[in-house]
Amino acid sequence: MKELEGKVKLVVKFFPYRYRDHARIAAEAAVEAWRQGKFAEMHELLIKKSPKLDRESLIAYAKELNLNVEKFIKAIDNMEGADIIERDLKLAKELDLYVTPAFFINGIKVLGVRDADYFKNIIFRELENAKQR
Amino acid sequence: MQSRGSIRVFLIASLVFACFLCLNAYASERKKSIEPLPQPPSPKYNTTTPEKVELGKKLFFDRRLSGDGTTSCASCHDPEKTFTDASEISLSYPTTRNFRNAPTLINIAYAKSFFWDGRAKTLEQQAEFPIMSPFEMNQNLDFVEEEIRIVPEYREAFRRVFGQEVNIKLIAKALAAFQRTLVSQNAPIDRYLRGDKNALSDEAKKGLEIFTGKGKCIKCHHGAYLSDQKFHALMVPENPKYANEEKFIVTRRYVAKINKYPDYMNIKEDLGRYFKTKKKADYKAFKTPTLREVAKTAPYMHNGIFKNLDEVIEFFNKGGGEGNRELKPLGLNDEEKRVLKIFLTEALSGDDLKIKPPEIP
Repeated sequence: MKELEGKVKLVVKFFPYRYRDHARIAAEAAVEAWRQGKFAEMHELLIKKSPKLDRESLIAYAKELNLNVEKFIKAIDNMEGADIIERDLKLAKELDLYVTPAFFINGIKVLGVRDADYFKNIIFRELENAKQR
Repeated sequence: MQSRGSIRVFLIASLVFACFLCLNAYASERKKSIEPLPQPPSPKYNTTTPEKVELGKKLFFDRRLSGDGTTSCASCHDPEKTFTDASEISLSYPTTRNFRNAPTLINIAYAKSFFWDGRAKTLEQQAEFPIMSPFEMNQNLDFVEEEIRIVPEYREAFRRVFGQEVNIKLIAKALAAFQRTLVSQNAPIDRYLRGDKNALSDEAKKGLEIFTGKGKCIKCHHGAYLSDQKFHALMVPENPKYANEEKFIVTRRYVAKINKYPDYMNIKEDLGRYFKTKKKADYKAFKTPTLREVAKTAPYMHNGIFKNLDEVIEFFNKGGGEGNRELKPLGLNDEEKRVLKIFLTEALSGDDLKIKPPEIP
């Protein structure tokens, strides 16, 4: 996606699915990884390793990414990311969102798993529209 | 002598019978035509009334119908996406995977069977399946009755509309009544068939000729619904994207298993209607979908394998999938394919239905 560099801003919001045991703690892990500057790496790892997202596994992933593990453990145990996660859950409710993954591309709602072409079509169309404005 | 006479009588009778069959087939080929859309049916067992439709609309958008409260009928049949979800494989209950494409609900009132494999004969029967399917809404039917019944507005509405307490059969009836109102509006083909010869452009008219002639589309896509309402094994290829996806495989095995397919653990393909009927003729056969609104309901086929109409036309032009016995190459040239696509896009698309989610009690 090099061609989109500098043209698209990606904002990630948290929406831990309420009926999955490890969804909330995994979100905490992602927030702490973000605070330590490795959100994207942790995000990739969580997707790759899912559903193995229990506390011990998350700590192992933090080690794998060379995070400050002591700080990481303290953060996930004390739910230090709660403010951010709760804020995002509130936003999802306001937007009437219940499904993951959910995307908004320039306001266009896309729900569910899609292939890359689907996103590309919308993104390139929106970039074109933006040029004409 | 008597035996020779009998043979002669038998031969003459066979010849007459063969002629009858030929004429019959010729007549049925000839009478296939496209018809304008009539008023949608309002069956005696569930007449359509405005109050019932209103109730059905609320239930259609109500997430209580799913086990975890995340999914409504509108999640996969989104009014903003022509009552589909625009996915190859329909959206699924969280953490699971569906294995077939969600068809549009527009004009579903005219269908004579439901689902790609036709396992439901009425819209009322159909409604219960996705609610209880583990990979769609994953709700328990007894439980959902209580979830709806406890809402005072719903209880009152059911008494008013049906004169009865909430139950799952009435929920299904209300949903069906709402869906029967989702009908193509003002489609150029209907105006054309009713006498407005300017309703189609010249190119669309040429496309119509291909549709009814060389393209042979009309063979299966005829009548007002533009479907023969039958099942055909066109040998549409499996969608390779999902061949190794565990959750997809789980769902396909599950469907084979509940249909008592003996070797369900090793199932590698979607056997379509065969799962249900176990008839050889239904092996990998799927329902002929309507072509009304087709330009707005990509991707196509039961597994969403074709991204656009060009790919669909190409599939039929080359004579369908490998090993199929229903289709032969059509030999359409580029211009013929182009005008056919114009017909499908321009003539069969009605005005967008502006259905907004209602307030859920």
